[in-house]
Amino acid sequence: MRAIKIQKIILLTILSLVAMVYLGPFIFSVIVSFSDNKNLINQPGQIVNSGWTLRNYIYIWKDLPFATWLFNSVIITVCQTITNVFFSALAGFTFAKLEFRGKNLIFGAMMASLMIPGIILIIPKFMLINELRMINSYPGLILPGMVSVVNIFLMKQFFETMPKDLEKAALIDGCNYFQMFWKVFIPNSKPALAAVAIYTFQGTWNEFLWPLIATNTGEMFTLPVGMASLRYELLTDWPAIMAGTILVSIPTLLIFVIFQRYFVQGIASTGGKE
Amino acid sequence: MVSGDELNIKMKKNNSTKKEQQFWAYTFLFFPLMLLTIFLFIPILFSFIISFFDWELMAAHQKFAGLNNYVEIFRDKIFYKAMLNTVLYTIGVVPIQTMLALFLAFVMNQKIRGRSFFRTAFYIPAVTSSVVTSIIFVAIYSKEGLLNSLLGNLGIQANDWLTNPKTALISIMMLNIWTTSGYFMVSFLAGLQNIPDSLYEAAKLEGATQRQQFWHITVPMVRPVTYFVVVMSLIGCFQVFDQVFVMSDGGPNNATTTMSYYVYQNGFRYFRLGYGAAAAIVLAGIIMTVTVIQKKYFPPNPY
Amino acid sequence: MATIEIKKLHKTYSNNQHAIKGIDVSIKEGEFVVLVGPSGCGKSTLLRMIAGLEDISDGELYFNDRLMNSVHPKDRNIAMVFQNYALYPHMTVYDNMAFGLKLKKMPKAEIHQRVTDAAKTLGLTEYLNSLPKEMSGGQRQRVAIGRAIVRQPDVFLFDEPLSNLDAKLRVQMRTEIKRLHRQLKNTMVYVTHDQIEAMAMGDKIVILKDGVVHQTDSPVNVFAHPKNKFVAGFIGSPAMNFVSGEIIKEDELFFINEGMKISVPPPLRISMENYLGKKVDMGFRPEYVYDKGLEKERRLSTDVEIEILVVENVGSESYNHFRLNGMDTIYSYRSSSSHAHFPGEKLTVGIDLERLHFFDNETEETIL
Repeated sequence: MRAIKIQKIILLTILSLVAMVYLGPFIFSVIVSFSDNKNLINQPGQIVNSGWTLRNYIYIWKDLPFATWLFNSVIITVCQTITNVFFSALAGFTFAKLEFRGKNLIFGAMMASLMIPGIILIIPKFMLINELRMINSYPGLILPGMVSVVNIFLMKQFFETMPKDLEKAALIDGCNYFQMFWKVFIPNSKPALAAVAIYTFQGTWNEFLWPLIATNTGEMFTLPVGMASLRYELLTDWPAIMAGTILVSIPTLLIFVIFQRYFVQGIASTGGKE
Repeated sequence: MVSGDELNIKMKKNNSTKKEQQFWAYTFLFFPLMLLTIFLFIPILFSFIISFFDWELMAAHQKFAGLNNYVEIFRDKIFYKAMLNTVLYTIGVVPIQTMLALFLAFVMNQKIRGRSFFRTAFYIPAVTSSVVTSIIFVAIYSKEGLLNSLLGNLGIQANDWLTNPKTALISIMMLNIWTTSGYFMVSFLAGLQNIPDSLYEAAKLEGATQRQQFWHITVPMVRPVTYFVVVMSLIGCFQVFDQVFVMSDGGPNNATTTMSYYVYQNGFRYFRLGYGAAAAIVLAGIIMTVTVIQKKYFPPNPY
Repeated sequence: MATIEIKKLHKTYSNNQHAIKGIDVSIKEGEFVVLVGPSGCGKSTLLRMIAGLEDISDGELYFNDRLMNSVHPKDRNIAMVFQNYALYPHMTVYDNMAFGLKLKKMPKAEIHQRVTDAAKTLGLTEYLNSLPKEMSGGQRQRVAIGRAIVRQPDVFLFDEPLSNLDAKLRVQMRTEIKRLHRQLKNTMVYVTHDQIEAMAMGDKIVILKDGVVHQTDSPVNVFAHPKNKFVAGFIGSPAMNFVSGEIIKEDELFFINEGMKISVPPPLRISMENYLGKKVDMGFRPEYVYDKGLEKERRLSTDVEIEILVVENVGSESYNHFRLNGMDTIYSYRSSSSHAHFPGEKLTVGIDLERLHFFDNETEETIL
């Protein structure tokens, strides 16, 4: 009885300490970003002595192409999120509810592709985009990621859990398959669609290797690529860089905090349940 | 009430749905499948082809190189260094990350207050851009940085973590563990919550201590998740790139060059696309072999 | 073997929910006691407090006169069979049963002896190397029971063990558990929400509602002499019929309402004097109504005019649902199905006066 209470306190303490370690670097970053002392990364405790300022954020915004990078990131992320949600739902529905020649073959190929590590794709994709003259352009950044096998798989799994009777009822009511998809299945799939949207948003916003390769001028950089370029340019202006990192993180953090539930749900359903 | 005739018509409709289904299926799949073919299936095949050439981007004609690229790879000291780094990295990160994630999930599962807060806290590094976290940790790891000043308070000597060949790789490994253990913790937490309380109660009645309950019930029952976490970890660790690029650019002296970075370097710094493709294929081959071995000898569900 | 004494037991949860409100139960050695009641009555909570899986907020628990309140579950020498069996999915049947014994570091030979003996008693010998997922619900439940048997405990605890089985299997397992009780002769405490199960299995039944014991008695007594309206309505299927009315005096005492006028049975006349002019509820069981046209006239019955609304013919008998003398409420009675009634039929039935129950309208206690 009391032993349990003590145990709980110990556990709570452990968790709190660990949480500090996980959150610490971000707190550190925030502190430094508001400081005008460039040496603050050494002694963030000195924040009390140094001044607070918004200078770094203003600098990032005005004097660096941050706004451009933000714009690029937003365009690409929004586009890819919308297309992913739509296409993965469409394809997922197809594999879940329709019978057609070649179904097993196509699905098998898709599953097999999941086994192939992504690094293989980098060079051929680059060459392809290059041939299409889409390097350093929006299409080059958006097209390759407009749909993903993982999302299709997720939607397929979800649709398979929906009652079969819905299909039959819709058919008897005279729906064709598109109407069934659009008017019956989609409205009832909000959690899965949300999960796909959130994963895609987060994945695209934070993506680094592909935008790195597919762009070669600063105006087409996405936020991560831009920040990486800053890393070597603003070598010691840490407050400025930190301001940049915070700005980049805000969208995904906000989305995560608001839609926590869907993140957790998504992982729980792919965590290898029996 | 549906009349017999109406029912017949509807039944006929249902019988012709096979053709109907096929029509819709191909219509629906047209765009997604086209995209996947162009940007997934074809590149996979293409990469094999490229690896047999000495590919120059600007050249009109490509020089066929046969297996030369592969031979050169296996003669390259840096390749072996990259492979060594990657293997060390993986061996270091995967077990620690998995155990940490399971441990945290186990603690979190014990009816603690503020569970939501902790879950968020542990998970935030995983949703943040890898570039962002890398930059923050560069600041922490630098000679005048946070880590050294904290260690200085404990009397430990300062070190330039990322420029010291001995500590560079480990520093990045620590970052990786910090970043993704939260993500896997959530997976484990879901798995733990699937274990019925009554199993633990039955064990408690039979005299099992907390530790025995953990090893005899928790660990076996969470095995599918463990499998998933380990496989995902492995695949991720073998392909680690972003942090290496941002924090150390493969240095100092290739101390942090991983296989992914090796591919990038050869493909996009030295512009040897064929060679890079070959290296990527070798890396992929290694990853897939490891995964197959794991599935055979450490399957998710032996029972 | 153990006796169990429960004295003024209370359980309050941290959110101030008072789940168990002062319960006293006395269980003799070797007795089969059933805790029964509607959902949320506290029966499982009580069982878990006996097991030690829940803390006791107040009151005392004794096994063989030894205070058990702070004794760890594993030291109470009990075994529990859970509703969802709680078998370890990754262990074979043998290992499931042996698990606890291995933890106690019992010698292998003895473990083997106990497990194989239990398996033989339960008909599980050929399944010893199987995994739970390869077995049916009934077989899994037997494994759970086997796991309890090998511990050779003083007390067996059952937490709604048959709820997850289909109806036929439930009846079969019921008799098996009773047979086991006769064979092992252990004290057994059994929780169920099914009153038929309780009646069929218990030497003694404890009826609970809202954390309080309403009656503790043998099945026969609980059926024939319920202490209050809740017990009267809870035990028996179809449930007892309740009619509200008043007591008046016209030479004799009568119970009346707009549909009937019944003479108060002689044994109750003295107590009923106190209820003159007051509201009173009367109860009569579906078993004690009979077709006047078919059966011999019984002594001490009273006639009522009824109109049949719904007839449920279950093969061996019929449950007839009817309205009395124009009143709104629907009651039921059982009749043999050799003469079936039909909806809309009007007939006269007799209500057995010797089997009437009267309840105080406010306290709901039986008037004796």
